[in-house]
Amino acid sequence: MTALVIKNLYHAYENKNYVLKDINLSIDSGEIVSILGPSGCGKTTLLRVIAGLEDQSAGTIKINGKIVSNKKFMLPPEKRCTGLVVQDKALFPHLSVLNNVMFGIQKNKGKHTLAINYLELFKVEKLANKFPHEISGGEQQRVALARAMAPHPDILLLDEPFSALDQNLKNKLYQETKKIFKEKGLTVLIVSHDKNEAELLSDKLIYIKEGKISHLEINNQLSY
Amino acid sequence: MLKPSIPSFWAVLPFLILFLFLLPVLIVLFSLFSGYSENWAHLYNYVLVDYISNTLYLIIGVSLTSLLIGTISAWIVTNYDFFGKRFLEWALILPLATPPYILAYTFTGFFDAYGTANNIIREIFSLDQSFILFPNIRNIYGAIVVFSFTLYPYIYLVSRAAFLNQSRSILEAGRMLGLNQYEIFYKLSLPIIRPAVIGGLMLVIMETISDFGAVDHFAIQTFTTGVFRTWHGMYDLTTAMQLASILLIFVATFVWIEKTSRKKALYTSGSSTFKPAKKIKLIKMKAVIAFFICFIPILIGFILPITELTKWAINYNLTFFDEKFLQAAMNTILLAVAAGILCASIALIINFSIRFNKNRFSNFLSSFLSLGYAVPGLILAVGIVQLFALIDKNIFINTDIILTGSLIGLIFAYVIKSYALANSTFESGFQRISFHLDDSARTLNSSGWNLLSRVHFPLLKTSFLTSILLVTSEVVKELPATLILRPFNFDTLAVSTYIYAAEERMFQAAAPAIAIMLVGLIPIILLTKMISSSRPMDK
Repeated sequence: MTALVIKNLYHAYENKNYVLKDINLSIDSGEIVSILGPSGCGKTTLLRVIAGLEDQSAGTIKINGKIVSNKKFMLPPEKRCTGLVVQDKALFPHLSVLNNVMFGIQKNKGKHTLAINYLELFKVEKLANKFPHEISGGEQQRVALARAMAPHPDILLLDEPFSALDQNLKNKLYQETKKIFKEKGLTVLIVSHDKNEAELLSDKLIYIKEGKISHLEINNQLSY
Repeated sequence: MLKPSIPSFWAVLPFLILFLFLLPVLIVLFSLFSGYSENWAHLYNYVLVDYISNTLYLIIGVSLTSLLIGTISAWIVTNYDFFGKRFLEWALILPLATPPYILAYTFTGFFDAYGTANNIIREIFSLDQSFILFPNIRNIYGAIVVFSFTLYPYIYLVSRAAFLNQSRSILEAGRMLGLNQYEIFYKLSLPIIRPAVIGGLMLVIMETISDFGAVDHFAIQTFTTGVFRTWHGMYDLTTAMQLASILLIFVATFVWIEKTSRKKALYTSGSSTFKPAKKIKLIKMKAVIAFFICFIPILIGFILPITELTKWAINYNLTFFDEKFLQAAMNTILLAVAAGILCASIALIINFSIRFNKNRFSNFLSSFLSLGYAVPGLILAVGIVQLFALIDKNIFINTDIILTGSLIGLIFAYVIKSYALANSTFESGFQRISFHLDDSARTLNSSGWNLLSRVHFPLLKTSFLTSILLVTSEVVKELPATLILRPFNFDTLAVSTYIYAAEERMFQAAAPAIAIMLVGLIPIILLTKMISSSRPMDK
């Protein structure tokens, strides 16, 4: 099944220069895809448009077969069923680790158990009662991933999630997170500027240059 | 959700609030297009010239005096090191706690023919009771002194911030080009900080022309006393509004100058290699002179009034807490806290709404909503009375008068007037919250009220409390709007002080006046903390 379909997507800030031009993309369920490209090429903007945080100028986005935005229609981010993890983690500083993870879970029954399960999955359950400023950068990243996954999003969007971590920690997290994503069958779209990271994590690599998809690689093989 | 659909609640809300804030002012302005009565002809023929000339004299006198006090004291405490400098740095803001009308009352009590100053001279030199050394200060010159010594901190604050941000290299370049210390002050430093100082000066002017209590006490005919007398003496609200419109045009001019100068005010050095100016150590006579130049404004603007008021309170057998005082204090607290909570809540919701719905009007809306601080309380009061009278007459037709003369009008005026204080607190509070938190929360099914109550409000509790404190301390001082809009027999501390002073019962005016000044210290304490943390190298 196709989890994400993007057709003829354009985006311009305040209707000036186009940051994204004629983006066409299709991602299957359970696939992990990385978007690569130089700074300012439009990678993060693409992620934000998919999440509904930016409005597109033209084109259609479908998530799990459902149109979430086109020229006339725009589903707000809170209704798109996407999860987002950004570089600075954006954990809510006034909430404990557990409350951060429970934040997006809609159902009241079993909320606590579900959050604990996700903390266990990322091996940070002992930090449940700590606050974000009391834990390390790597632990914050795990909590951010647990928080984004806990509401069971249809697609997980990661914007350079590991860039602020040191290399040893990164290598450890690559293996762990990829294993979790695959076990859970999650569809993941990762924005990265690190080709090595993208290759370690993803099934598919998409290159963007000046707002356009320049080429795509599957298992390190050039596709077009 | 269709894209170009009906604007959301969050998009409409700021415009709705703006409309509400503008209504009283628009009503006042529209009076210019209604008929002109005989009273207007009388005012036009006999007193309008006095109103304009007195207002202009006040503006010129207060501007020059407060400019001198504000810039020189700021220059001294920023560039020189001497005994007591640390104390003076923050104490120079203290006169902000003294409303001009309270300094006017204490000045008359102090310098009157049988006031403290003349009595001391007679006692010391064993002079006859008919001897009077100090001249009558109930005139325009006295008013200029009163306004200058209570309002100069506006100029001191901006000048000091601007002087602090002047790079040492610029001043050193001046020295290398042969300028001495005084030439550096007026040829280099002053021109560089001029836009900032003009911004501060416009605030001083707006406060001066908005004042009612001090000019009324000194019996000076200005627009505010004119509006008050036309309404309460001639019972002619339309003419009062027409007069208020002219005052509003004056105010609008100064607001425009202030906004323009603020755009040009580059407070910080553009260079990343900023080096703070090196302080020059003063000793002996020079240190004493520097100390006294900075101490005199504090003495006149804060120490003198608080000492005189304390003396009056003691003479009144320290019966501070009589029933009347307690009632006035309770009323004041009730009003101030209600206005504070309402103002902080509106500012929180508006700032959230602007953040949530970023568009090209956001900045315009935010600054336009804050313009209420410049509208004189008297004008707001006149506009609100007319607005409420219209609503009572046309909407609540079959009931008694509901809005006119109620506390709602008073709180409405306070909220419009103090909104800028709450808004600036929330603006800086929201700036500290990363937009990534909003993005994450939105992808976690949180939006609108949910986002505000679960993410932003908990992170902005300090801003909320600070806003309440700032608005409260401002409301406690407010006189003209309170005087006009208060329900019958409803006294606040400011009104009690005014009434006692108007009846020359100065001893009784002391307790409420002291209470007002003490509450006025709250924003100064907050401001001092902010200033001390403004530049890391200054710590």
